[in-house]
Amino acid sequence: MEQEKKLSEQESLVLITQMINKAKNSYHDTGIGAMMWGAVIAICSLVRLSEIHFGYRLPFDIYLLTLVAIIPQIYLSIKESKERKVKSYDDSYMNYIWLGFGICIFLLIHTVNNIFSDWGSWADKFKEVTGTSATPGFYEYIAPLFLMLYGLPTFITGAACKFKPMLWGGLFCWACCIITVYTTIKIDLLLTALSALSAWFIPGILMEKEYRLYKKEQAQNV
Amino acid sequence: MFNDLDPILHSQLRLAVISLLISVKEAEFTFLKEKTNATAGNLSVQIQKLKDAGYIDVVKQFKDNYPQTICKITSKGIDAFAQYVKNLQTYLGK
Repeated sequence: MEQEKKLSEQESLVLITQMINKAKNSYHDTGIGAMMWGAVIAICSLVRLSEIHFGYRLPFDIYLLTLVAIIPQIYLSIKESKERKVKSYDDSYMNYIWLGFGICIFLLIHTVNNIFSDWGSWADKFKEVTGTSATPGFYEYIAPLFLMLYGLPTFITGAACKFKPMLWGGLFCWACCIITVYTTIKIDLLLTALSALSAWFIPGILMEKEYRLYKKEQAQNV
Repeated sequence: MFNDLDPILHSQLRLAVISLLISVKEAEFTFLKEKTNATAGNLSVQIQKLKDAGYIDVVKQFKDNYPQTICKITSKGIDAFAQYVKNLQTYLGK
């Protein structure tokens, strides 16, 4: 590109449009993080479902896997941020949204665990007073809260990045949020696994595919 | 009545750089080079002109022992670009 080439007004406008489009299409997510979290949440839900269905308990809480997954996520974030040659405004907002989502999940788990620690004694008192069996465990009711939270950043990311699979994934989470209010814990866990797959795992695979194509094109252009 | 187009921006490579920077928060020199297909020397000169005009900020640092140049549009640059586009529209509307 020559620096001093005189441009006509029309050429200037075409150049501006071209460059803005180039900048817009300059970043493609690898999709690895989305795939990983989709798989982790789906595995946790399905393992918990099998524990309940087949009546066994693992020697550890399967949901601890989500804490372990934070380590590769940090590694991936640092690696991807180092490789990036450009930072967009959208990326900054998205990072804050997902960070906020992580904090909300942590707060929800903290709140639920604290309430649940008292639930046993409440259930016993309920049985004492009414003479009927205790109401179902508190965990029967928490799946919709998690699904509601899963849907929010997924929906925003899908809408902001114009990535429809994630937009639909977010909507699917919210649909499951409504359904799980009326279903048993087993169905809740199954729908949570399906939500994780549709909101993150499948969009992650599609993102990865796009990323590969983008890299291939880049290599061909060099 | 037509306003003159800003001579700093009314040049192919400088306009390309500003158009790229208006769309992003910040970009590395290598990104600008890749997208504009300019030579490193030519791009350096034009970036310096934009910097001297106060349209962009340039930060030079080291990343993994390699020099890294990061460019970011300033608020003066955003205003100049907005005015340039506005003036362009009046020309195109004539």
